[in-house]
Amino acid sequence: MPEETETVQIDGWHSDPAESPDTLDRGVGITRRPARWSVGSLRLSSLAGLYVLIALLVLFTLSDERFAAPQNYRVILASQAIAGILTLGLVVSLISGVFDVSIAATMALSISLVGWLQAEMGFHPLVAVVLTLLAGATVGALNAVSVTVLRVEPIIATLGSSAILAAVAYWIAEGQTFIDGISPGFISFGQSQFLSIPLPVYYLAAIALLLWFAIEHTPWGRYLRAIGANAEASRLAGIRVVRVQWSALIVSGLLASLAGIVLTMQLGAASFGAGDPYLLPAFAAAFLGSTQVQPGRFNVFGTLIALYLLATAVKGLQLRYPDLPWIADLIQGVTLIASVAIAAYAGRRRAEKG
Amino acid sequence: MSTSTYEPDGGSVRRGSSDEDPSALRLEGVGKSFSGTPVLSDVSLNVRQGEVHALIGQNGSGKSTLIKILSGFHHPDPGSRATVLDVALELGDPGSAHQRGIRFVHQDLGLVGRLSSLENFALGIGYPTGALSRIRWRQHRQIVRDGVRRLGHEFDLAVPVERLAPVERTALAIARALHGADNLSLLVLDEPTATMPRADVERLHHLVRRVSGEGIGVLYVSHHLDEIMSLADRVTVLRDGRKVDTAEIQTVTKENLITMMTGSTVNKDRTAAAGTTTAGVVLEVRDLSFGSSGPISFDVRGGEILGIAGITGSGRERLCRTVYGGSDYDGTVLIEGTPLKRRNTQHAVTSGVGFVSATRLDDGVVAEMSVRENLMLGDIRSVARFGVVRRSRESAECADLFRDLKVKASGPEAPLASLSGGNQQKVVIGRWLRRRPRVLLLDEPTQGVDVAAKADIHRLVDDAATTGVAVVVAGSDEEELVRLCDRILVMRDGVVARQFARGEITASELAFECLADDKSDQKEDEHA
Repeated sequence: MPEETETVQIDGWHSDPAESPDTLDRGVGITRRPARWSVGSLRLSSLAGLYVLIALLVLFTLSDERFAAPQNYRVILASQAIAGILTLGLVVSLISGVFDVSIAATMALSISLVGWLQAEMGFHPLVAVVLTLLAGATVGALNAVSVTVLRVEPIIATLGSSAILAAVAYWIAEGQTFIDGISPGFISFGQSQFLSIPLPVYYLAAIALLLWFAIEHTPWGRYLRAIGANAEASRLAGIRVVRVQWSALIVSGLLASLAGIVLTMQLGAASFGAGDPYLLPAFAAAFLGSTQVQPGRFNVFGTLIALYLLATAVKGLQLRYPDLPWIADLIQGVTLIASVAIAAYAGRRRAEKG
Repeated sequence: MSTSTYEPDGGSVRRGSSDEDPSALRLEGVGKSFSGTPVLSDVSLNVRQGEVHALIGQNGSGKSTLIKILSGFHHPDPGSRATVLDVALELGDPGSAHQRGIRFVHQDLGLVGRLSSLENFALGIGYPTGALSRIRWRQHRQIVRDGVRRLGHEFDLAVPVERLAPVERTALAIARALHGADNLSLLVLDEPTATMPRADVERLHHLVRRVSGEGIGVLYVSHHLDEIMSLADRVTVLRDGRKVDTAEIQTVTKENLITMMTGSTVNKDRTAAAGTTTAGVVLEVRDLSFGSSGPISFDVRGGEILGIAGITGSGRERLCRTVYGGSDYDGTVLIEGTPLKRRNTQHAVTSGVGFVSATRLDDGVVAEMSVRENLMLGDIRSVARFGVVRRSRESAECADLFRDLKVKASGPEAPLASLSGGNQQKVVIGRWLRRRPRVLLLDEPTQGVDVAAKADIHRLVDDAATTGVAVVVAGSDEEELVRLCDRILVMRDGVVARQFARGEITASELAFECLADDKSDQKEDEHA
């Protein structure tokens, strides 16, 4: 190969085969001409969401001074950090083909639990957090029992557990919001800033990097994808399908639980009903995210782009049309259906191009 | 010698009508070519009223094409003519076949297992309804009950049909086909007993005779020659798209029919025994039974390629998957003397067993993933260190494999779905070869694969055996088995009926053996 070509390692970011058709007969790496600007390098199809996000940010910032306030950016970043933690857990379960719709209810349970353990039981905040995370993992394990032992369809199993969890959350909190007795130290972990960015954003960044690595660079991630695409072929190829499904649901429960804890830190109060509104945005972001970065696959960075794109659109429109409170629901509902339809269409086109 | 297998059916009254009556179906000069290649040439056929007319031939002989022309699925070549009761039938037009009173019951019966007989009966026909489209259940129940009674059956019409006996399901499908046809001329039954237990077959024959007893012509497609000998009035044999002959059943023996189907005769004096040594045995199967098959026992030595032949329904089609642990069984499977855990594919894999499924897209590959990911499926840990996949190592291994396997694709990153069937199959086989298995189980390895890829796959299998792998190839492609295998077992009715060593048998003889029945073998054994 000529001297001036450079070899770029294939990794999760660049594994879209449609993007690099000429590079494949070498197998070991992608060979590229020396960096030269072209429209193709913008990856318009797989990063469209990122460009729309930038365009929206510019548009809203220029046209609305309330949007342009630094405090507004912090609110978007911080509130989406919690949605992001929840959504990334959902992404893990979606990759493995088990739809976990109990994430919002798990979040509600965690809010109740972390508040109750501190306010009523007088536990140290750290102990309360650890116990709450354990509870989240247990929820995931119980969902896994329904799916792999009782053989209930995942969406039904987790829909059922949602209702049970909501009941438990209400029962623990006795219908109240815990405000007194929640440690100020605990709250500071949700409300403080570092470099004028709220701490929860760093939590999201850490979890995103960790999950990205686990999904793209460990055998576990590969098994998740294989099982999600064809569980029976995976089983016959020697993958322990049940074990991987368990791990996916436990990770999903754990992250939902963490999202609940961080939300409690941020609000300074444990209001168990605060988790419910996060369900639809999580699904909308996960499915829209599956059309981005690695089209056709649920993936971490696509999900983050989708999450902030939706949040920016919702926030900008809410500021512009304050008397239309339903606008968020409308955008998220339309996005969910449209992104699944786009993914299905793109999948068919890939199959036809074959 | 085998005329003894023909037992005249004294019980039923045959109403075979004379040649003067108009035929239930008369085909003349029917042909069909696909893109210039003839698959059916100049076939003429005459089904009399009230007769059971068997249509037989090997896979690819053209019988399913003929049925599809009759049902209107395919248009025949120009010059093909057909009449029903002396009235012209428009071939290739489903409406015309229906209007002329021709009805079809296909092998799958077209029933929905979870629905009841009453509901299944209404599929496609509809319910009798009253005011406000209310279903007249009582009237409907009466219609269905009368329909199955006419065929000599009586069973609970309200239970899901998956809980009925196979013959009852067939009766329901036939009753539905016959319903509402007042000018019924011909019933076409396509492989009705392919998946039916032996005990039910006799009941089905009784049912078929009732239909023909009403003066309806029955065209009966089957692989089972015993059935045809006891049921049919006449038989038409197709081979390579042409009609060999139509014969009165009394005038032929089963051996005649096999000879007509395969175009060869078999030297029956051959002693079928080989491979009695157990040195270097890698795979031992002991008293394996599953479903209605078994007990089956055999050994495979390292470096040996064992073929499993047999028609669909003989147990051959489930053997490899069962040995692998993909479905439950009784008995023991040992790898180098260590028993495998039952119904545990992971244990099979870790014990060095690989399995290539016949249903590649369902459970062989992950079509959404790349060639590389499919090659590494299930064994990605081998290129990981400290829990991290080493991409460079993985890519290098896949690039080598990709080349060795001669996969025709843009590269290891190509989506698997973009590959032809043959190349997908190379990837599946390559996945196992990479893991250096001790046993490789291949189920129909070249089904739906083009000629070039087939040769590549055969080379891969040969190479694997050369390196000491014990290989089992199960399949319906007799030429492939004869070419590849050191030893071939013939399965019939769920057990191993015969065994041949390499060179002892030709492909058409093997086809003959698959179709032959045990009774005649036993007779020979007694003679011997």
